[in-house]
Amino acid sequence: MERAKSALSNDLLYGRINTNTPLKLKVTFCTDLDKSVLTSNFEKRGWSQVGPEDDWNFYWSGIQTCRNLFSLDSGYRMHDHQLINHFPNHYELTRKDLLVKNIKRYRKELERDGNPLGTKSMGKYIYLDFIPITFVLPADYNMFVEEYRKTPSSTWIMKPCGKSQGAGIFLINKLSKLKRWSREAKAPFNPTVVKETYVISKYIDNPLLIGGKKFDMRLYVLVTSFRPLKAYLFKQGFCRFCTVKYDTSMQELDNIFVHLTNVSVQRHGGDYNSLHGGKLSVDNLRLYLESTRGKNVTDKLFKNIIWLIVHSLKAVSNIMANDKHCFECYGYDIIIDNTLKPWLIEVNASPSLTSTTVNDRILKSRLIDSILHVVIPPTGIPDAKWNKTPLPSALGNFEVLIDEEAITHNENSKLRKNNKSSNNNNLSLAVRRRR
Amino acid sequence: MADLKDSIHATTEKLTSDLKKMTMYKTFYEDLQKLVSKSAVKNTNFKNTLLEAMKMNGMENELRNTIFQWVRSHKNPAATREPLIYLRKSQATWQKRIHKSLNSMASEIKIHLAQSRVLSDKEEMNDKWNELSIYDVDLSQYRPVYAPKDFLEVLLAIRSPNYKCPNVMKLQWDFIQLPLMVKTFKELRNFYSEISRGDLLLGNNPNMKSENPNYPTLLAERTALGEKVLETNHAPVTQEYLKKGCPRSLRATMWVQVLGVEVKENEKLYFQYLKNVVLQHDLMVDKLIIKDVQLTASNDHQYFVFEDVLYQVMLCFSRDAEVLCIFSHSSAQPVHGVLRGKPPTIENTVIYPPNGIIPFHGFTMYATPFCYLYDDPVQLYYVFRAFYTRYWFRLHEVSSHPQGILSLCILFERLLHRLDNELWCHIKTSGVQPIRLTFKWIMRAFSGHLSPEQVLYLWDLILAYDSLEILPIMAVTIVGLRKVSLIRVKDLAGFEAVLADLSSITVMPLLQMVLVSKHLDSLIRLPKDTTKTGSLIEPKTKKDGKK
Repeated sequence: MERAKSALSNDLLYGRINTNTPLKLKVTFCTDLDKSVLTSNFEKRGWSQVGPEDDWNFYWSGIQTCRNLFSLDSGYRMHDHQLINHFPNHYELTRKDLLVKNIKRYRKELERDGNPLGTKSMGKYIYLDFIPITFVLPADYNMFVEEYRKTPSSTWIMKPCGKSQGAGIFLINKLSKLKRWSREAKAPFNPTVVKETYVISKYIDNPLLIGGKKFDMRLYVLVTSFRPLKAYLFKQGFCRFCTVKYDTSMQELDNIFVHLTNVSVQRHGGDYNSLHGGKLSVDNLRLYLESTRGKNVTDKLFKNIIWLIVHSLKAVSNIMANDKHCFECYGYDIIIDNTLKPWLIEVNASPSLTSTTVNDRILKSRLIDSILHVVIPPTGIPDAKWNKTPLPSALGNFEVLIDEEAITHNENSKLRKNNKSSNNNNLSLAVRRRR
Repeated sequence: MADLKDSIHATTEKLTSDLKKMTMYKTFYEDLQKLVSKSAVKNTNFKNTLLEAMKMNGMENELRNTIFQWVRSHKNPAATREPLIYLRKSQATWQKRIHKSLNSMASEIKIHLAQSRVLSDKEEMNDKWNELSIYDVDLSQYRPVYAPKDFLEVLLAIRSPNYKCPNVMKLQWDFIQLPLMVKTFKELRNFYSEISRGDLLLGNNPNMKSENPNYPTLLAERTALGEKVLETNHAPVTQEYLKKGCPRSLRATMWVQVLGVEVKENEKLYFQYLKNVVLQHDLMVDKLIIKDVQLTASNDHQYFVFEDVLYQVMLCFSRDAEVLCIFSHSSAQPVHGVLRGKPPTIENTVIYPPNGIIPFHGFTMYATPFCYLYDDPVQLYYVFRAFYTRYWFRLHEVSSHPQGILSLCILFERLLHRLDNELWCHIKTSGVQPIRLTFKWIMRAFSGHLSPEQVLYLWDLILAYDSLEILPIMAVTIVGLRKVSLIRVKDLAGFEAVLADLSSITVMPLLQMVLVSKHLDSLIRLPKDTTKTGSLIEPKTKKDGKK
């Protein structure tokens, strides 16, 4: 606390703090979620809890609260010593339809600019083919039908855009089923049947199975800034397993437990085990894959996963409101197919902090602890003016995914050194030059 | 000289006659005949060209490996039955207890030990063979026949008739009543010389630099060497390679080579046969097996994914009469039962269960770590069986064999006494026998206690040195590592709490630390920053300290 005091008085000395801000000796936090993994981590740091109306330094808010705070009507202006855990328009990344739209746009832009990343072959982007073919319904209905006719035997998955945790999801393998749905949705006179927007994606029907069971990966990604992009990957992700054997036969198409790996869905399945919650650590997945499939293919898979995350973030980095008070932890859902290719399924803005098992609680508590280590400057006081470059020792269980600032910095110093460097073949360089 | 010649001659005769009885012999002979007809084998220089051709197509290696496996399995001295009468008696009494408890459970639940499977059940089981987790049986009345704890009580009660307990000794060394020879620490250091002389081992820091400038990391160097070793397909070389740790990506094949358990057509057929036998008869042991998988693997966050494979493997194992070969050199005896409604003659006597082994609580853990190595249940089965018939059966029988559980327990106690007297005394004066803290680790070969990857590293060493003595060394190492926290508590529950979570233990660096430095104290005197890098020692000790 001694350090905190001196840091604050220093700030006062240089007149950086608005005089309206009362002098505080203690960091305060506010939270919309009453979760022990949160409060215990805050209290461990000696922070004290205040209400949303009080003067807080650190707000762990729900999405709605954050949006309200940033809306013009609220008239709320944050001061330098305040941080909040969402970006105001995070939905560009986390809404299923917008994510798809943004990635499609990003790819087109790269292609138009002649960037090697946008190279296509056989109608597919070679380097950026990491989301299943997806359309927004009802808007893209005709495009969908065109695509559907190419492979009429495939299965598609329908998801409502605004919902999460597996709600409202169903599978279809017949166009007639969808036609009925679309006719009803387009009826303009009856507002009660106008359905919300859906995305329809080609179902990954060749998922990687372990012990005969399907799973998806949940990885946590922390973003502290979109321009320049600064993102971190939490090392302790996990795989969520279906309780039922994978089976694509017709009669199983309606058995949602076969297909959806969400814990919130699986918990209602009869075989849910509360000791492990159907979760296997990513470390053990890696051990299994390296042992049974080999090191090279496994390394490639994990490299591709990082590639996928970085480019999904780059796709939205220009349109995100890059407010300096914000940081956000996203839950990435990824499915691996049996050729060991990762597919991005969706991104969640408020990954669940509910702990279903003991291991889960430890993991989530570590996640929060590591987030705080990265977003809070070494002074221990939230500071929006900080350059957001944590010390390597503060990274905890995070590893740096990308830090564009550091990259530019390195590049500049390199340029200064030998004043001539052209390496157009280097893909990663090409990305950086885009801006 | 003449004697030696005779003995070599006798061994060769035994070997050739045994070879002819092996399952591989027929195909090997056929392949050889085919080879002779090839143009590479010349009539003029028949012997040399044939030998050369055998070398070229790998048949020589196959023969060499077969002989290596034969020699390995005949290393046990000829007089293989338990020589000590009081241990033989103890094992017999223990077995009687197991059988009694099995029988009483059967009569309590009112079921038969064995019966033909009814058709509907047979069909259901066949349909669900690949997902036996949904095969529905009521197991609420079944309970494990015994747990490691019960077996430890049996071991602790054994007294050598030659030992007279002087009453005055309060601080009694519990295993002193059993004068079995175990290796001294010095002998162990010599035995595990690759580790104790400080060679670079895989399984320390993954990014450790190689001593060879041609490779960026030790892992890259070991992988390149390992690939060459696998190519030679020569079991003794592979075994030697494992001594310094095996890369994840090569382990599965390495183990198959060392154990000589490649899956070919015959092996697949035999596994299929075992499955059919399972479907044929409904044994009470099946329920115990299913129950055990449910109690252990299904509830374990590291193994639950593999539940279905484990049901298959464990059920087939119970029917495998080839496992009975262990009883020729084990102190145990399989249970014999007489077929119901038949006169008690030899023809009507059967072994129950067919493999002679009654599973205990946690038996499945002998197989679980293999799930990380093999996708194919058949290959998994044969590796598991090879491990069991070579090592694991010794972990649940009373015998004086140097690899038996008794010797391993004594080794643990002596090591702790020798390496950290203070800690040993502290545990003893708290009224706890040190072996109580680590017995279940040793009996389960650490499966389910260490993380899967660490178990695999440890089992690498079991195979490499062909010995279970690494288990007590590992146990004593972990106890030594947690010394600071152990000293602070003074009862069994406290000790167990300190030693409950081993998820952060890394096998290779810790073992090397102890075997190099000759002191357990070195573990807690590690420089503090090593906890940060996480490669050498886990941060757990610090956390423990707070308790």
